[in-house]
Amino acid sequence: MGVQKITIDPLTRIEGHLKFVTKVENGIVTEAKCSADMYRGIEKALIGYDARVAQQVTQRVCGVCPYAHAEAASLALENAMGIKPNHNGQLLRNMTVGAYQLQDHLLHFYVLSALDFIDITAVLKYEGDDESVLSVKNWVQNELKSSKIFPAAPFLPRYEAMYAKSNTTNFTAIKNYLEAIKVMADLTKAVAVFGAKAPHSVTLEAGGVTTIPTVEKLAKYRSLVMSARKFIKNNYINDIIAVAKEFPDYFKIGAGYGNYLSYPYLPDENGENHLFIGGSTIGDKYEELDLKHIFEDHKYSYYKSTPDSNVRPLDSTVLTPINYEEFKKEHTKEDGKYSWSRAPRYKGEIMEVGPVARVINTYKSGKNKKLNALVDSINSKLNLTFKDYNSVLGRHLCRAIASSIIIDKMLEDIEKVVPDQLAFVERAVPKNAVGFGLTEATRGALAHWIETDENGLIKNYDMIVPTTWNISPKDAKGTPGVVEKMLIGTKIKDPENPIELARIVRSTDPCLACSVH
Amino acid sequence: MSLTRRDAIKQMLKVIAAVGAANFFSYEDLVAMENGKMIKPNIIWLHGSSCSGCSCSFLNIEDVSVLDILTRYTNIIYHPDISLATGKQVTDLLDKASKELKNNYLLVVEGSIPVAMPHACMMGDRPIMEWMEQMSTSASACVAAGTCAAFGGITGMQGMDAGVMSIGNFVKAKKLNKPVVALPNCPMKPEHLIYVIFHYAKFKTIPELDAEGRPLRFYSQTVHERCIYYSEFQEKNYAKKIGEPGCMLKLGCQGPVTKNDCMQIGHNNNTNTCIKAGHPCIGCASEHFPRQIMLHTFDDKRAIAKFKNFKFEG
Repeated sequence: MGVQKITIDPLTRIEGHLKFVTKVENGIVTEAKCSADMYRGIEKALIGYDARVAQQVTQRVCGVCPYAHAEAASLALENAMGIKPNHNGQLLRNMTVGAYQLQDHLLHFYVLSALDFIDITAVLKYEGDDESVLSVKNWVQNELKSSKIFPAAPFLPRYEAMYAKSNTTNFTAIKNYLEAIKVMADLTKAVAVFGAKAPHSVTLEAGGVTTIPTVEKLAKYRSLVMSARKFIKNNYINDIIAVAKEFPDYFKIGAGYGNYLSYPYLPDENGENHLFIGGSTIGDKYEELDLKHIFEDHKYSYYKSTPDSNVRPLDSTVLTPINYEEFKKEHTKEDGKYSWSRAPRYKGEIMEVGPVARVINTYKSGKNKKLNALVDSINSKLNLTFKDYNSVLGRHLCRAIASSIIIDKMLEDIEKVVPDQLAFVERAVPKNAVGFGLTEATRGALAHWIETDENGLIKNYDMIVPTTWNISPKDAKGTPGVVEKMLIGTKIKDPENPIELARIVRSTDPCLACSVH
Repeated sequence: MSLTRRDAIKQMLKVIAAVGAANFFSYEDLVAMENGKMIKPNIIWLHGSSCSGCSCSFLNIEDVSVLDILTRYTNIIYHPDISLATGKQVTDLLDKASKELKNNYLLVVEGSIPVAMPHACMMGDRPIMEWMEQMSTSASACVAAGTCAAFGGITGMQGMDAGVMSIGNFVKAKKLNKPVVALPNCPMKPEHLIYVIFHYAKFKTIPELDAEGRPLRFYSQTVHERCIYYSEFQEKNYAKKIGEPGCMLKLGCQGPVTKNDCMQIGHNNNTNTCIKAGHPCIGCASEHFPRQIMLHTFDDKRAIAKFKNFKFEG
């Protein structure tokens, strides 16, 4: 078979513009380069804006997980102000970001990933009586009979590959795909009850949430989340298990470095005792989080600012992009720059962030007994160890585990809210202050840093975003990023339909708008 | 057991009323649509410099189910977040569509087009501005979905290097002579897009627009003019703090300078609006979004600099 180059550009069903190029020798990937293909420059553009604007602008970094940026920006500003939200403020914030994250996990599994495994054309064999599935069947039938130029778009064309064989798995997942879209709309409505809208909830400000939690609003939130609960606890997790049974190899495929970084997420009403514990696991060893170990490189990224390695957050107020001519020149070089994303490192190590990191670090901290019990029971049921989590299916499974834990917390938090009491603490913007905010976005560890000037305007802003960790290009030492590592060693069955690569990259739920911002 | 004819028509009537298309969609049109006698618009969706928020917002629609949009009312030829096509399949598909579906599709563009830095948004090794030119040349009309596409929005905020153009300005600058409907709001309201699609299905044209390219149907008045606190404003009852009743003008409300229908069609299937959630309007549908200051304390004396949108003259 010899040496081949396989490029996927654009990778669809992710957030944003991503290209990746692999070198394949005798059917096995030996090199991989991921290029984040969009740049805006939001951090440094924020300089000169009011400190509170950061919340509204940074959540527009990403329309898929805006809530996390809103929370991180609010936490950073609260840290600079030296305040915490009040009892209601913390609870409403949790309920809003939590519901949003649940929606996002469903979006990722069903809309973005499931049809890489599930055979949509199997619907033609459907003999059941579910109205929605039948209407898909009729539609596909008519489309395939039609003389259209693009029959059955947007579901065809697709990679022709091995999809799930079991009709039950396919029918159930197709039914749940349609159902999930409705559940997602319900969850975004739950977000909007206190967040005003989703995407881009305006009310999650530093100081809490501006919405007053009336009994009516609380009841509405509760009924929306309750209706999603059954779907998440049954349909979602069962579909993942069904896919796992059809594709057991994918507990081995797509392994990264096995180092995990996560931040504390979803505290109690006092802003303490987080549901998910932050920390790092490097080579199986769990340690508490220490932000001073974070540095970023951009030797292989399209920027010309110096130095291009070991840059700390807030170290620099400029990050100058290269121009189009320089960009084209870099592409002619053997070892040139190839991504808009930078390469963050923790203790010099390459860290994977996301659902697996969230679950493993929390498990190892031993501080959330409910999570440990759930993980133990799933591991024994599916005969898994944490080693299997370092895989395509491991990442899907951890999202479902996390979702199950989160939805219970949402329903507990709502009971603690004191109706009709203001959830917001008002403060003027802090002058000449510095702060940071940490949270877990859907895709993993998210940090914001803010510095203000003598007028309370932004003097400097930095974000290190989950997909920046995962999709990072090589660092200054030339070591590949996490997703690049996941691709290396993968066996490609059919170079014309390299679905293995698409499944691996999509399993990390990349968000390119976040990654480069 | 599929839907009965009567159920289907009832459901569609609800949809049409919900998106505000009841004034031009007749019972006969409904029957035609249900029988497949009215052509379903072809849709091609592209992401420029964007965050996918408008796509997510589109999936959140409830009045019309996403399934119905896909199967009954449109042909979604390509959508970056829904299409199974991957890699070269996508670029091949777009090339083919621009040749074989000439003047026969609506091009929905989410996000703006970087022009000063073409490499700031790439797809298939080509700058998105090239794709935009190719795909809009063959489109029957373009829809600028969301504030970035309509006015530059966040991607065009002061301090950005990429030099972005709104879809309207891009089409004008390239002399492409295509109608462009701007649907500003960050993110786009799905109801607005569905309205444009129904209008196009019936008349093969886009709805009547204002000087900024927005449908008059939704953008003829400011948020302020229809605000629930308008009478408080007239009485000069201003909220001094978040949580106080009263007009939030002095907390930074952008309602008076933002044209939109938020007070009629709220967010997420009319679940809420920013003002009803106790937050001043941040003007996310305005041509001036994002402003330098959006929410401030009652006694904040810092002047709000009038940051205009960075408009690239190409």
